[in-house]
Amino acid sequence: MQSSRKLWCVALLGAVTMMGAGTASAQEVKVWTLTFANDSANKAWQKIVSDYEAANPGTTIRVENRGVDEHKSALRVAAGSDQGPDIYFMWAGLGLGGEFVKAGLSLPLDKYHQQYGWGDRFLPSAAAFADLYEGGKHGVPFTFKGEAIYYNKKLFEQAGITAEPTTYDELVAAADKLKAAGIPAITFGGTVNWHLMRLMDVLLETKCGAEKHDALMSMKADWTKEPCAADSFTELGKWTNQYVLSPFMGIDQAQSFNLFVANRAAMMLEGDWLVQQLSESANLDDFGMFPFPTNTNRLYGFAEYHYISTKSSNPDAAAKFLDYFTSTPVQQATLGLFSTTSVNKHVKYENLRPLDAKWVDIFNKYSAVYMNGDQAFPLDVTTEYFRVINEVASGSIDAATAASQMQSFIAKRG
Amino acid sequence: MVASPSTADRYDRTPAQTRRVKARLQDPAVQGLVLIAPAVLVYALFAFYPMLDVIQLSFMKWNGLTAAKQWVGLDNYRYVLGDDPVFWVAFRNTLIWTALSVIFPPLIGLGLALGLNQNIPGRSPLRALFYMPVIIAPIAVATMWRWMFDPFFGLFNSLLTTAGWTNLIQDWLGDRSVALYSVFIGYVWEVAGFSMVLFLAGLQGVSQTLIEAARIDGAGRFQVFRYVTLPALRPTITIVLILSLINSLKAFDIVYGMTGGGPAQSTQMLAMWAYTQAMQLGDFGRGSAISVVLLLMTVVIVVPYLRWTLRRQEA
Repeated sequence: MQSSRKLWCVALLGAVTMMGAGTASAQEVKVWTLTFANDSANKAWQKIVSDYEAANPGTTIRVENRGVDEHKSALRVAAGSDQGPDIYFMWAGLGLGGEFVKAGLSLPLDKYHQQYGWGDRFLPSAAAFADLYEGGKHGVPFTFKGEAIYYNKKLFEQAGITAEPTTYDELVAAADKLKAAGIPAITFGGTVNWHLMRLMDVLLETKCGAEKHDALMSMKADWTKEPCAADSFTELGKWTNQYVLSPFMGIDQAQSFNLFVANRAAMMLEGDWLVQQLSESANLDDFGMFPFPTNTNRLYGFAEYHYISTKSSNPDAAAKFLDYFTSTPVQQATLGLFSTTSVNKHVKYENLRPLDAKWVDIFNKYSAVYMNGDQAFPLDVTTEYFRVINEVASGSIDAATAASQMQSFIAKRG
Repeated sequence: MVASPSTADRYDRTPAQTRRVKARLQDPAVQGLVLIAPAVLVYALFAFYPMLDVIQLSFMKWNGLTAAKQWVGLDNYRYVLGDDPVFWVAFRNTLIWTALSVIFPPLIGLGLALGLNQNIPGRSPLRALFYMPVIIAPIAVATMWRWMFDPFFGLFNSLLTTAGWTNLIQDWLGDRSVALYSVFIGYVWEVAGFSMVLFLAGLQGVSQTLIEAARIDGAGRFQVFRYVTLPALRPTITIVLILSLINSLKAFDIVYGMTGGGPAQSTQMLAMWAYTQAMQLGDFGRGSAISVVLLLMTVVIVVPYLRWTLRRQEA
């Protein structure tokens, strides 16, 4: 009886020890990201996870995918509890990403940048966003998107434009030639505020230069005291009044794209993702592309990042997974699935389509970036920025009033 | 120290006590209270408590991300009423929308109900057809109407082009002077069937005897409608107008789906602006303050109207 009781005790102790050991070694990393419209991206995620789990026994990566709005809402709800993710997807910049960083939900990753040598891994243009925040480096690049002017070669030829514009004046001259030939120079969709915003962003960069543009977007400069702000609004009014395919305030970006491929407008200001879209809807050889000529030697674009949550109980495991995710072999294997190009600068590109090859050249050429207004501004200022841009575009207010309304809103934020 | 009664004591009632409990349960007022108790509980939990919470939040600054909520007194109201560049546009739009909503959908609903109350062929399928938009998801209605209003390939501009009336072609959703009214047309299509069904139900209660008596007395069609049908429909009209009023003040989904509040916030509505402030911009204090203003507007408009109509019905 005595020995039987001892045996039970030993067995129980052993079981408890094994369970304890199991708990100590088993790690779960929760990743919250988007449901990608491109199914091959979702499949790529699954493969990365299964490969990582196979190489790291005891670690489970649990990925939860949601639509954009559901993702934002889920993160907001999780912020108030301890049930959030270890890693979450978010755009980089002071807007959406910055909101979560400011709320203390992003762990500074300086330690891991050093530990894994990430400084030598990423394209400078993609990595630059991690340094935007106070208190250290936040987030790891997931994708980087550049934006440039795509143009219809036949319509350019029809208007007598023989070379891609390299200065803003040349671009305006090209727009004038197109207008004279009866061709709307460029197309935008006004219902989605961010589309027309791109035009204002590039005009601010052109008219203000890099330093002043950054100061305006970071709300350190006064929009009424920098004449370039009003000048940019004047240019915006000029473009929307004379060169943009009209009417545009009642159509969205998708409709604008349809009109572009239907040869209804000569240019479109879009991201590197448009190459794939164009290849599915038209003959790629009919289109060319050049960065918007701002003369500041900075590329227009935005980045998507993965952040590690301050509430993560496994930040080391999360960082290790992100290191694997962004490593050269994984990025090489998934090239083109998440984005046209990789954020990893060591990835090799072969058999690229001409427009993709041009994008790779552009990404390698530019080391500085200016980002989209809705990524640069806090959310409330973005909403006002959209409103003022639309007011100017619809001719309801003049440039000086627009600059004044922007500054007034910023000043009242306190 | 008072000892609590044991379970046995509690159930060991005297016959007199049992009779008293039974007698109390026979009281219609007590029965009513017992029956409405679950509903009151659900209402208190899911409607009244959130409403109090929103009122409390309207005096605070909270981003919805951190646990910390800061008491700011009337700051949110001061900002919303004094500094917000969109609030008064949304306020004005909500008033216009409400005024139009209590006129057009009920009038069209009444017209349809009067027509479909007659003995005409295909009456039932037609009733179903006119009611159909009510059961379609509002976001689908919005998508459909957005396509019809498309300035390049949409139905309306194509019809105008075909008819040769190109001077009437509009950027229906992009021109701030017409956008709100374009969205409202979609809304009328969506909700008129609801008023129609209520009026049809009301028309079933109109006494045929009275109508026939009026006709024998020489009343014409309009006079029968004016002096017999319309007074009999008064309770239905009250319900239709109150529901139209409340629904119009809450207008959100179709505007969100068709214009998103644009161009330049010119179709923004109070309910949508409250949502935008709280859920998209992460300012729950300001969003709540706008919701409270909307609540007050609803109370100020609906309560006097309800009291007036109830008094008329009692008289």
